This record gives sequence, C-alpha cells and structure tokens, in this order.
Amino acid sequence: METLPRDIYRALEDIVGPDYITEEPATLDSYAYQLDAETSRGGSKFLPRPLAALLPGSTEDVQAIVRACNRFKLKYKAYSTGWGVQSSTRGEDTIQLDLRRMDHILEIDEKNMYAVVEPYVIASTLQAEAMKHGLNCHIIGAGASHSVLAAATSFMGTGPDAIYMGWSPQTMLALEWVMPNGEIMRTGSLSTSKNWFCGEGPGPSIRGISRGFMGAQGGLGVFTKCAVKLSAWPGPKVMPIEGQIPYYITSLPDNFKSHTIGFPSWKAYADALFKLYDAEIGYILHRQFNMWGDELQAAILKIRTDSSYSLEDIDRLLEKPEIQKQTEEMRISFQVILAGQSMADLNFQERALDEILAETGGWKVAAMEDPLMQKWTMLYLLKLCYKSLNFIYGGCYAGTYSIKGNPDWVTSAVVPVAKQVMGEHQKKGMIADTGCDAMMSSISDIGGGGRTWMEQFSFYDPADKKSIEGALEYLKAAVESSRVRGWPRSYDTDYVEAFGPGRVNRLNNMPYPQRAILQWQRKIKEAIDPNNTGEGSYSTSEDSPK
Amino acid sequence: MALEDYKNMVARCARCSYCKWIPFANVQNWRFAKGCPSVEYNKFQSFAAGGRLAATLSFLEGRSSCTEGFQKIVYSCLMDGMCDVACKVGRYNMEPLEVMRELRYRMVELGQYMPEHAILVDSLRQNDNTMCEPKANRGQWAEGLDVKNVTAEQCDVVFHAGCRYSYDKDLWNVPRTAVSLLKKAGVNIGIMGKDETCCGGRVNDMGFAGELTKYAESTIQAWKSAGVKEVVTSCADCFHSFIRLYPALGSKIKVYHTVEYIEKLIKEGKIKFSKEIPMTVTYHDPCHLGRRGESYIPWNGKEIKMRGQIICYDPPKPRYSGSRGVYEAPRNVLKSIPGVELIEMTRIREYAWCCGAGGGVPEAYPDFSSWVAGERIAEANSTGANMLVTACSRCERNFKDAVEKNHEKIKVMDIVELVQQAI
Repeated sequence: METLPRDIYRALEDIVGPDYITEEPATLDSYAYQLDAETSRGGSKFLPRPLAALLPGSTEDVQAIVRACNRFKLKYKAYSTGWGVQSSTRGEDTIQLDLRRMDHILEIDEKNMYAVVEPYVIASTLQAEAMKHGLNCHIIGAGASHSVLAAATSFMGTGPDAIYMGWSPQTMLALEWVMPNGEIMRTGSLSTSKNWFCGEGPGPSIRGISRGFMGAQGGLGVFTKCAVKLSAWPGPKVMPIEGQIPYYITSLPDNFKSHTIGFPSWKAYADALFKLYDAEIGYILHRQFNMWGDELQAAILKIRTDSSYSLEDIDRLLEKPEIQKQTEEMRISFQVILAGQSMADLNFQERALDEILAETGGWKVAAMEDPLMQKWTMLYLLKLCYKSLNFIYGGCYAGTYSIKGNPDWVTSAVVPVAKQVMGEHQKKGMIADTGCDAMMSSISDIGGGGRTWMEQFSFYDPADKKSIEGALEYLKAAVESSRVRGWPRSYDTDYVEAFGPGRVNRLNNMPYPQRAILQWQRKIKEAIDPNNTGEGSYSTSEDSPK
Repeated sequence: MALEDYKNMVARCARCSYCKWIPFANVQNWRFAKGCPSVEYNKFQSFAAGGRLAATLSFLEGRSSCTEGFQKIVYSCLMDGMCDVACKVGRYNMEPLEVMRELRYRMVELGQYMPEHAILVDSLRQNDNTMCEPKANRGQWAEGLDVKNVTAEQCDVVFHAGCRYSYDKDLWNVPRTAVSLLKKAGVNIGIMGKDETCCGGRVNDMGFAGELTKYAESTIQAWKSAGVKEVVTSCADCFHSFIRLYPALGSKIKVYHTVEYIEKLIKEGKIKFSKEIPMTVTYHDPCHLGRRGESYIPWNGKEIKMRGQIICYDPPKPRYSGSRGVYEAPRNVLKSIPGVELIEMTRIREYAWCCGAGGGVPEAYPDFSSWVAGERIAEANSTGANMLVTACSRCERNFKDAVEKNHEKIKVMDIVELVQQAI
C-alpha cells in the first residue's frame, strides 16, 4: 500500500495520540535512511520507507499497536536507538516504532548487581549511573550510544569488557516482551515474582527463543523492559575528564593500568589469549585501534592525541621513524586495561601479564606506555565513547568476517583469508587502503574467556557510486570466502543480501552452513507470530528442519 | 555553497546518533546527558541533526517537498550547534550545522520561511532591529551615561549593544554597566547610539543571508569611518557575528566579548574588587560565545581523497569543533570575584545545553523555547547554586521568562552585573 488507510491511521493515532504518529515523508525518510543501506539498495541511502512512524510511550502502547497490527495485517518494526541496517524497515507495508520515549532507568539494584531499563536507555547513561553505585555495565562494540536493551535482547552484543562482564546474551536477565500476537510475556524470575534478577525461568530457556544467537533484530515482537547484570567498578563514582574536544582524557587511580600488547606472530597472539583466559585477568581486553588498519593505526593515534595533526597528515606521519616503529610494534596487537580491586590485585594482574608476555614473546608497545596515551586509552575503552571513529575515513564502513571461534582457529584460519581478500580489494582503490589487517576484535567475547572473533573493517565512501560498488564487490567476496569454507554466517551477509525485492527469507539462494538455525527460527516464527506481523529482520529459512 | 554541494556530505552521515547527546566522554548522569533540545522536545528522528541530514537528502532527491511538516523539521532547530560539536568528536568531514543553515537559505529562496520570521525581518528592514521597535529609540539605553558617540568623537573601542540590549529595558543595566566599567577603567570607548544597527546574525540563522551581508557591510563601513580599532559587545549573538561571520565579509576589527575585556582589565589591575559577594553561582555558556564563538579562519580549498577513499581537504580545512570558544574568560572573572563560588553544571563549555533562544525558535515555537530554558534551569538548580550567571542578552531574557513562568527561585544575572556588585 502507498499510505495507511485512514481507519488504520486513526486506530494507531488513538493509541499514541496525535503528537506521536506521523506520515510526513521527510520524517519517514529519516527512519529509512541507514548506515550501509547503499550496498543493498543500489546506492540509495534509503531502505523502504515506513508507512508511518510512531512513538509509543509505554508497554501498553506497544501492546495496543502490536494488537492493531495483527488486526489490520500490518507489519511493524521497533527500534531503540536505531543504528544500522538491522534497525529500519526492510520491506513494504510496515510501520516504524521508535521507542525513544521509553528511556528510563527503572532500577539499579546495587545489592543484587543489576539494572532494569527501558529500550532507549543507552550504555553511556546506565554506566554513569551504575558507577555511582560502584558498578559498571557491559558496553557492546558499537559503543556508548547503544541501547542496553536492544543489545541484550535483539542483536549480537559483545565488546571490550566481555571477558570481565560477559556478553549481552549472558548479561541479559529477566525481560518484558510484547510478543508478536500482542500478549505480554515476562521471562525468567519476573515470570514468577516481581524480581528481575534471573534470565532463566521454569521450563525451556526463553532466552534462546527470544533472542537466539544473533537476536531477532526487531522481527519477533517488541521488548519493552529488561534487566541486565552489572559488574564491579573499582573506580571513582564519576570518571574525571580533562582536555578539550576531541582530545579528552581521564585520570584514574593507580589501580588502573592500560597497555597495548604486541606479538611477533599470530601463533604467539593466540597462545597469549589462552593464557589470559586461564589467568583470569583483565577488565578490558580488545583489539580496538587496529580497526583503522595495521598501516595507519599509529598515525591515527597521533592525530587523535595531538591537535597539531589532522587526517591530511597521515602520509607525512607515516614517514616519521617513531610512527614507523610504533606501526611495526602494533601490527599484531591488542589493548588491555587492568583494573585492580586493590593495588595488590593490580600488581598480581601485572605480574601475570608480564609472565604471559615472557612465555609468548609479546611486548608492551612503548609509545602506548606514555602517560597521555594511557589516559586516552582508558577513557576510550572504558567508556567506549569514540566509536564514531569507525567512520573517520570515508564516512562508512562495513564489518566482515565476524566469525567466532577459538583463538588458534580464528588466527590461523580466518585471519589469513580476511587479510588476503581485503588486500586484493584495497588495491583497487574503491575501499580505503588502510593495510589489509583492519580487524577489530573482542579478545574474548564471552565472560571468562574461551572464544574470540575478528571484524574486518572495510571503509568506503557512501556518496561515491564507484566506492559503493567496490565495497559491495568486497563484501560479496568476503561472504563467499566464508561460505565456501563452511564457516558460519555472520552479519556481513546483511549488507549483501538482506534487502532484495520481496526477500524475507534471506538465505533461499545461498545454502549456508548451519542452515538448521534458520530452519528452527522458522518454526519459532510460525509458532509465535502466526500472522507474520513482525517484519523480516528475523532470519528464517523457507524449509523446515528435517 | 549551494545546498546541492552538501549532497555528498549528507550521504556520509553514519546515523550514529552522537548528535543527540553530549560527547559521551562527558556523560556523568542520566538526567543531563542529552545534547539536542530539538529531538528531545519533538521526539521524531527527523528533529536530530542526523535526521535533518536525511531529510535534506530526501528533499534533494525529490522524495520530500516543502510541506508544513518539512518546515517544522527545518525550523524547530535552535541552531545551537551542539550536534555539530558532538558529530566532530569522531568525524573530520561533516558540517551538520552548515547544512542546516544552508537548508534554511534554500527555504527562504523558495519563500518557505516561517511567517513569524517574516514579521521580524520586515521590521528589521524598516527599523534595523529585530525587536520590532522604532529605529530612533535605539540609543535610549545609554541615556545619562555620558559616553562618547563614535560617529562624532574619536574612540579606540566601539561598544555594540545589540538589538535586545538596546530595547529590552529590563536588561539595560547590562550594557550600561559594561560601558561604565570599561570607561572607568580608562578605555577610550564609545557607542553608535541610534546609528547602531542589527548585526544580522540572528536573521542569518533564520535563513536570511542577504540581511547578514547588508548589515555586515554597513557596520564594517561605519566602524571604518569612525576609525575604531576594537569592538566590544555583551551580546553573544553579536559576538558570533563579528568574530565568525564578518571577517568573511571583509571585517578586520579586533572583537571582544565584554567578559574577555573585563578579564583583561582585571589582569591589568584596572578593575579591582572591594566587596565580597557570598554567593554560589553556576555559569551558562551561551552557544554563540562558546562553541559557536570560534574565530573565522579563511579557507579556500577542495575535497580530495587519499589512499583511495579517505576524504580529506586540500589545503586542510579549518576545524570548528567548539574547542576555540570563549570558556575561560567568564570563569576566570567569576573566580576572581571575592566570595563567589562557581559550581559547574553537567553540560558546560562546548557541550552546554542551549538556553532555547536561538535559531528563530522563540518566535516560531515559543513553547519549545520555554521548555528548553526550563530544562537548563532544572540543571542549574541541580547544582544548588543561588544564581544562574550568563553572558548573553538572549539567554538572560529566556531564562528570566522561564523562571517567572515556572515560579523558580534561582536568580538570573549577567556576569557584568555581578562584577559591578563587587566593586
């Protein structure tokens, strides 16, 4: 349909009120506009335009909207902060629910170490409030601006602190879920009491059904409240900030220390990861700065910490011996922040780290030991407040090879392929030449360690048709290189194949490994969304499990 | 540049939502973390900078047209520049505020401006002020001050009162005090009296670029004819016009905000305090003195690409990220007043919450404007301060109105009035 029939519009307007529903084309396009949309939309920044945008203010509003959608056979798509192609409507005849009015931190339970949040609570504000209680929250790789609830309930959800705090499927506790049929389900401990402390309840784990591995991405009802686990924060109640924009830094007490750790080989890198898991040290473990490319990361670090340089100085900086030295030291590296619950704890962690480095031949990158760099790194990674730097080069990036596995497999199998495919395409000039290892990585993406992954960043210009085509060519090559090796699918497939005309069941034409996941997700979808009102973000297969 | 010239830039918005919040490094609590008043009040995505860029692209691609709803998207922006600062935390090739201003220029070209703005601009064209007041009354604020008129007598420094200080009698004490302080400190200062005109900056933010050029050219010429070397103003709006907009139109005069001049005079020992003011105060950074108060840097270059797709500029483009605004001078002045204790709000300096008086919003959307001021007063109250001090006529007016409307207790005062009390 071109527009909502008036009776449907009036029914929706009656639910949210006239101020919170719109059909204004420019506003609807502000919802259709998305990061990375152009790779699947023939160069357009716009995904399919929703028929209307609504701003529900409560669970009851959401429930009434979902029921109306069932009644009128209308699809809906809810988002919280709305960043990325998974957030906006993917097909026609869909309304967009923007949950930004539901933005309260409902509770911080200091004793039981959890918080209850609404959808538009972002990590940055929850973290700030949690720190006042000596607690901290998990922040996913997308950074401070992400919706705590969306990451917990609806998408991947790992990040630099995952080794200490766990990743989102682990940190998610009880939740309130407006199911696709309009019924409200309260899961975990909330299903039998008024308490939010546990994600598991009687019977099968609803966590697996509600979010699975990748999350339903808004295609399986609407999550309206959830509880997340909080972790200890052995720092000040408010992180002190110094410096002028964008050169902010923080000065933390002596029980915090940051290092960038370099290695002579990927084998040594993987060995160190296993040893770090065993040693159970580290508050933050992440391969962050490498996302700017192994060739450029040292230069970018200089630009970000010295106001006399800008992007135009990259090549000039690369001629400097000290930058060349740092570049080499950081080629195979990651960042670690040690946070001691006491000085003795910090000292233990330092000694354990030193021992691991001695055993694996690793080193602390000298330039990153500078006090300024320590302060800058700690602010960056603890608050994850600079993730718009993902777009520092051309305005857009697409993540590829986000395949999870043990460190030895990821480094020996995925890394060489990712480097080779990226290198071949960087040479063509349509994606930025940053060095063929632009892999960001959660050193462990689950609590306590045991699994890692690499996200290879490809940077392109979304305003340049040739660059978009080049990026798409690279993305297809990356997806194909994974598929032929039998590697599990990742979200790079989203950029390539999610939005073809009429495509709901995405992988029809691409027989991916682990197809059973999509077959089972189809069963779940059929069981709890019989009218198929949740739009097509939830990946399913056309065939049923055998 | 034409709006079409920004098409690549708007397509490069990553929709990261940084424009909606203060820079995340500075977030200290839930209550005062949001940065964009427009999207906080109007809620829909199109009322944040990222949404406006998307709406601009939609408009340029012919997907949207100048409907009433589109007009509201364009004009429900305070042009406070918070989004611009937050965007540039990580971006080197985005200028969201420029795009929004250019969009307003286009709306005016198309005759799609707000009727409330049209009334104001008509008055400006007739009376050279934005207050809908007679031109002849412009200099009345200075009656009895015994101050020179630069059009008749030689002065080194011209004091520019600005439209609101010239006509808002409640606020006359501010320019009168400023001139008296400077005069007493030995500054050879004068005013232009009834010959002073609007700076043009405010209507420029509404999209009327021609008015800015007209008033800039006539004012620059008047200063030149008077032989003045420096201009001082207590109005942050005017300060922004003079320091950022006028140099592009040929102005070479040295520009000071009153607080900068007072800071200088305190350092030189020409202003001395004799009284203690036992008061806890909090300071509101006016947008046009702070993040938008960065001096103009000439640039004539082009976009280039390095290493395939890294977008750069040749020569490197000046970076207006808010870091060069006037932040220290007002704080130094406050800290130098005996007895005054400065307690900072959460959102300060380059990431201060707007007062609500910018961008033509008070004229077109007064309820929104008042709400924005109320939010800032709530933040000031949260510090426990007795007084909210600022350095701009528009901020002071909006705060005073909101305090009265909401029956708040906090006092609102310009910084020079506090200085005067301590002398």
